[in-house]
Amino acid sequence: MMTTTKPQPLRQLLLGCALLLSATAAVAESNRADGEQVYTRVCGHCHEAGVGPVIKGRNLPPSYITAIVRHGFRAMPAFRSAFIDDASLQAVAEYVGNSPAPGNKGKGKE
Amino acid sequence: MSQQTNKVLPQGVAESDFRAALEQFRALLGAENVLVESEQLVSYTKIMMPGDVARNTPSAAVTATSVEQVQGVVRICNRYRIPVWTVSTGNNFGYGSAAPGQRGQIVLDLKKMNRILHIDAELGTALVEPGVTYQQLYDYLQEHDIPLMLSFPAPSAIASPLGNTMDRGVGYTPYGEHFLMQCGMELVLANGEIYRTGMGGVEGDNAWQVFKWGYGPTLDGMFTQANYGICTKLGFWLMPKPPVSMPIEIKFEEDTDISDIVEFIRPLRLAQVIPNAVVIAGVIWEAATCNTTRAQYTTEPGATPDSILKQIQKDKNLGAWNVYACLYGTREQVEVNLNIVRGALQQLGKGKLVTEEEAGGTQPFDYRAKLMTGVPNLQEFGLYNWRGGGGSMWFAPVSQARGSECDKQYGLAKQILNKHGLDYVGEFIVGWRDMHHVIDVLYDRTDDDERARAEACFNELLDEFEKRGYAVYRVNTQFQERVAQSYGTTKRRVEHALKRALDPNNILAPGKSGIDLNNGFEL
Repeated sequence: MMTTTKPQPLRQLLLGCALLLSATAAVAESNRADGEQVYTRVCGHCHEAGVGPVIKGRNLPPSYITAIVRHGFRAMPAFRSAFIDDASLQAVAEYVGNSPAPGNKGKGKE
Repeated sequence: MSQQTNKVLPQGVAESDFRAALEQFRALLGAENVLVESEQLVSYTKIMMPGDVARNTPSAAVTATSVEQVQGVVRICNRYRIPVWTVSTGNNFGYGSAAPGQRGQIVLDLKKMNRILHIDAELGTALVEPGVTYQQLYDYLQEHDIPLMLSFPAPSAIASPLGNTMDRGVGYTPYGEHFLMQCGMELVLANGEIYRTGMGGVEGDNAWQVFKWGYGPTLDGMFTQANYGICTKLGFWLMPKPPVSMPIEIKFEEDTDISDIVEFIRPLRLAQVIPNAVVIAGVIWEAATCNTTRAQYTTEPGATPDSILKQIQKDKNLGAWNVYACLYGTREQVEVNLNIVRGALQQLGKGKLVTEEEAGGTQPFDYRAKLMTGVPNLQEFGLYNWRGGGGSMWFAPVSQARGSECDKQYGLAKQILNKHGLDYVGEFIVGWRDMHHVIDVLYDRTDDDERARAEACFNELLDEFEKRGYAVYRVNTQFQERVAQSYGTTKRRVEHALKRALDPNNILAPGKSGIDLNNGFEL
């Protein structure tokens, strides 16, 4: 089976192997503007697992969250705009700020 | 358009030239992809190394979204002699993060080049761009119901397969030696040309991701942990998902057991009874990854006393050493191999085998099981909470897979760490005949005294291990020149000659692994 992903324009290639790449076009990372999705796929790995502090349910201001994400804080890494753009970061900050506390604090995430 | 910059210039570059280069970057990439203001660059300066952040502050960061743009960036850098440090996802924590190796280098950030270019479900191959994460790849395989399994390092969810492989990182499955599973690279050279390794240069070829060697010299290795080209595509192999995966843990009571454990594991690993990159994790590693912090047990500064470590071991039901292995195959195959492991353990006369059912979803078994079966998570970042304060350096000496050697390295590392008031937080990752002895030198980076001790400790670890014939396989950017010294001057002269031939203007990541036309190692 050869998997095919959504079409992208074929790029001009200076060397060979165009056949391989043209047979299956590329897929880029899905739209990150969904705050919940970003939280689940990135933030939640630590903040729902007892590794990072619980950040939901604390009414944290989005401006505080975005500043910590961009600067990092102690063990919390900094995330660049290339990793998460401003709009997606704002979305996840608002999602976190408006979410109730998780029911399953400190336990391993499944 | 803003002309403001953060006032750091690339070394030896006049401000007028730098400004001219920035204008050309903006024309090539769009203004939004050329970052120069301090507030925009702050994310590139979050490091876990002990040195002052000033030494790793970039002059700018630029983001490319295509191979053609990478070629354009390299051409501009050549025109103005601007050194450029490339990152993929930039999350190589403890090895340098997204900060450049030297002050003033611009960062070429490839996170936005994040296309999965090709997955071949039958042949078990992948071809990806630098910004693809293991999580993205995992989601893709899940969504398309492709029965292939990933191998990744612990920061899986946010790390790059391309970046990890180019840095010769390791994972925990049978495909855990990632560079061994690499097959085909595309590189943008310093002169802007595109070079494909292996079969990649043959017009019409479709074997680029299945045959590594191609024809004549096989150069892939030369581009890893190096600065001879910018990798823009990487091919690698994925393991077919087995019908059954059975993760197991074996707990050992005493820290003096390490030698016996290695002697017990090696034949099983060499014979592929246990096919994966087995881990032998020390007690603090285990404690931290089940969310135990040092502060829960003591507020005294310095090394944590052995009596407390024993208490933690008891409280958290851990071993002094904890072996994680996984058996894969059909139910029958797994059963046969499990019986062989049980038999060897019985012969050894110590060690308690724990199954996934017995562990019951608790940490750290749960995250180890996920690492060994290709499910992304970030549970291991619990290490950073042991002392807190965001300081981490990986000290990773290579060892033979021989009990006496591992025992010797463990004893030496612990003694040096404790002398500097720090803890031994380590694990051995079993290759086929080698051990990656991986030690996280954890310290509070916000405490100046502890930061200085950590730096002194790391220097002493490198020195004392070197005296005994040991060297690390990888290191953070602060110590890259120091570690290059361990590997001898002939190697450095060869590397210098290659650098001069391929990158005469010394623009690609000068200083990476100690390779720099200014290092005086002319052949």
